[in-house]
Amino acid sequence: MARARQLLDAVRPGGPPRGLVADLAAVVGRDHVRWTAGDVAPFGHDATPLFSGRPDVVVFPGSTAEVAEVLRIASAAGVPVVPRGAGSNLSAGTVPLRGGVVLVLTRLDRVLEVSRDELLVVAQAGATTAEVAAAAGEQGLLFAPDPGSRTVSTVGGNVATCAGGLRGLKYGVTRNYVLGLEVVLPTGEIIRTGGRLWKDVAGYDLTRLLTGSEGTLGVITEVTLALLPMPATASTGVAYFDDLATASRAVSAVLGAGVVPATLEFLDATCIAAVEDFAHLGLRTDAGALLLFGDDGEPDVVARNLARMGELCTAEGALDVTLAREVAESEALLSARRCTLPALSRVDSLLVLEDVTVPRPRLPEMVDRIADVARRHDLTVGTFGHAGDGNLHPTAVLDVHDEAAVGRTHAAFAEIFAAAIDLDGTITGEHGVGAAKLPYLRARLGDDQLALLRRIKTAFDPAGILNPGKLGS
Amino acid sequence: MTPALPEPVEGPEPEGRGIFPAELLDRCISCGFCLPACPTYALTKEEKSSPRGRIGLMRMLETGELDEDDPTLQHEASFCLGCRACEPVCPAGVQYGQLLEHWRDHQWRGVHVPPVAAALREAVEHPKLIETAGRLVPHGRTEASPVGAAEDRTERASLMLGCFERGLFPRVSRAALALRPELECPSDQGCCGALHAHNGDSATGVALAEALGERLPGTIVTTAGGCAGHLAHVLGDRVQELSVYLAAHPRDEPLGEVLVDGRRARVGLQDSCHLRNGLGVWEEPRALVAEVADYVEVPGAASCCGSAGSYSLLRPRDSRRVLAPKLDAIEALDLDLLVTVNPGCQRQLVTGLRRRRSRTRVLSLAELLVLARGGPPPRRRSWRLRRGGANDEPGELAAHLNDRPAPDDPGAAGAGPA
Repeated sequence: MARARQLLDAVRPGGPPRGLVADLAAVVGRDHVRWTAGDVAPFGHDATPLFSGRPDVVVFPGSTAEVAEVLRIASAAGVPVVPRGAGSNLSAGTVPLRGGVVLVLTRLDRVLEVSRDELLVVAQAGATTAEVAAAAGEQGLLFAPDPGSRTVSTVGGNVATCAGGLRGLKYGVTRNYVLGLEVVLPTGEIIRTGGRLWKDVAGYDLTRLLTGSEGTLGVITEVTLALLPMPATASTGVAYFDDLATASRAVSAVLGAGVVPATLEFLDATCIAAVEDFAHLGLRTDAGALLLFGDDGEPDVVARNLARMGELCTAEGALDVTLAREVAESEALLSARRCTLPALSRVDSLLVLEDVTVPRPRLPEMVDRIADVARRHDLTVGTFGHAGDGNLHPTAVLDVHDEAAVGRTHAAFAEIFAAAIDLDGTITGEHGVGAAKLPYLRARLGDDQLALLRRIKTAFDPAGILNPGKLGS
Repeated sequence: MTPALPEPVEGPEPEGRGIFPAELLDRCISCGFCLPACPTYALTKEEKSSPRGRIGLMRMLETGELDEDDPTLQHEASFCLGCRACEPVCPAGVQYGQLLEHWRDHQWRGVHVPPVAAALREAVEHPKLIETAGRLVPHGRTEASPVGAAEDRTERASLMLGCFERGLFPRVSRAALALRPELECPSDQGCCGALHAHNGDSATGVALAEALGERLPGTIVTTAGGCAGHLAHVLGDRVQELSVYLAAHPRDEPLGEVLVDGRRARVGLQDSCHLRNGLGVWEEPRALVAEVADYVEVPGAASCCGSAGSYSLLRPRDSRRVLAPKLDAIEALDLDLLVTVNPGCQRQLVTGLRRRRSRTRVLSLAELLVLARGGPPPRRRSWRLRRGGANDEPGELAAHLNDRPAPDDPGAAGAGPA
């Protein structure tokens, strides 16, 4: 019965074009193609609320050659292809808006090589970020980018979105570590950009272009990433403030004093309460804001920097400053911070999260503007983010069934994007444009740059099959 | 300029069918933090076999986009172990165990219930049947009030007899009573209902738990983590797993020590999923083991062993696939003993380790503590316990340990019990 259903599904009107499933199965094997309604349904959305699509077919290729063959078949059939890692995307970048094939890279999950001599790691795209970092760690090396979803997200997805994380201030983001890529073009050619070289200016820097291209130019199948020696130690401290604006001024004070910490994160009261409810770390839920500061390196330097940051926070009016006593305590604080977004789901059923980023000196101003917008639209907005990077995650928390509140949320975020651009900032710092922020891209880039983006997209993907409705569309 | 925000592709979700309470389903934001914790996702790397994917399927069942006949829904409803490892790692606090119960209540209603699950549910539903079965094996039991008169004591406590434990491992309840004679243990107890709750009949599950709660006086102590999880969900704080009860009621006497060949035994522990993930109990049993032996943390001790209540009977092949890496981890540590806190885990590990002819033997926490006090020793010659000569049931406790050679073991003659 089930089998008959599957066969019926395969030829149902509106389903995958006849023959497509068979062609794909011939490439990747029958066990690695899905086309029944229930099997493809989980690939209709990612971690972005309010966006969903319905893929016709889902394929799990087991090699770069299979990825290339899948893309050739899709090109010939004119079927959209959406590359996907772990589906932790926060800008609807992996939602198959126009159906077609979702190409999942999780079977390509091996860390191929860690080289101590060359300070690099080579991994297949579907390995998780945490796995890559652990493999490097075993050799005493650090993979610095650490996005919040590192235990889930694939390293290929991190490169495709140029993911950020908690260490951006001192170490930069994913793009600063990508040395080389193996990429399958939508037309089926396999290219290798960059390589194991720190210096290489032969040709346009396609490695950088593809990093953050959000699966619209090519499918990343293998990455070569730079590593650093593992810092001897790391530690964190916590300072509490009356409100986020005061905490923001403390951030300016820390950076103004010449300290460049590895981590400088803040949370407002709404976020503190949600995180504490999950992690039970004994955070002060009566404070208006929390600033998490941390550094890594030689023990004496770390101790000195932490003490200095604590003093600066106190001078800026911190209610309370505590330093972690041991590494485990620091780790627990950082883990809890990574969980802020999902923890906010304890407050209400719909979270609409944004990712605006402003120059660091404008941070207090941006924080105030967000609070003002939230007040005017009668919304609960929890704000957290990478204060040291000027990267904010204002998150509206509301009832998913309250259509009026959903409407107010859309209006509020339109204003928040406009405010960020007004303060010389950007609409997204690390989550990507995807489908969610595409309508705002013109305001950020202008017509000429947007047109150039489209020409680049056409050069890579003349048939327009790769992740349509996203960047370059 | 404020451009219009894109409209959702598929507008607000239609009214649900009422299969799931909205507040449970709405909690999940699809962040995927649960994926690394899910044993079935580890096996398949398939989204639909992860908690996030399954919640997606539940949502489509709720909205009617998929119906209960969908083969993926049918498969995933039974492929899920129900171990709830996704719950402690979920920052959003999704109550996956509750969602799964609602799902199976609907998916497995009427004739759709897997025959094995139906048979099990039927078997434990009749107190008389269990009681009769219980009379055939010497599990622990007491008359109405075993130690002193009940009215003398301000705080009564009773020992719950798990349906399967009393049949498969009757010595566990006897060990528990040997440790704590104050426990009352009537032999005519019914089932706690966990089996029903996890197999598509949560209403009966609740009713049975409530009936058991009325039957047993005072604090209900159980040696079965799975029963503890379900009972506590219905009855609340009255229910305590044995290690929690022992920690809350300490005594001024040494716990003793378990020795092997004159040294402290190397002992690992396998968590009970519902005890750890549902009730947050995992430190207490470890602390007790560490007091009487050299405690060794088995990597992955917190992950499901594949027994998962009725799972090992419903899906024996998948159950063994889940178990295999765990057996590897246990064998790599060359443990003397492995402690379990749930009869299902005990059966699963006894069977698995015996099949591999491992020297590591499996026993319950209660039995380990009796051994430490100088209770009956296992039967192997190499076991030299410091105290333990004088007991009235020689070799009894070890009778079900996996120290019997496998029947097809060519070296069985030499390795058998002394």
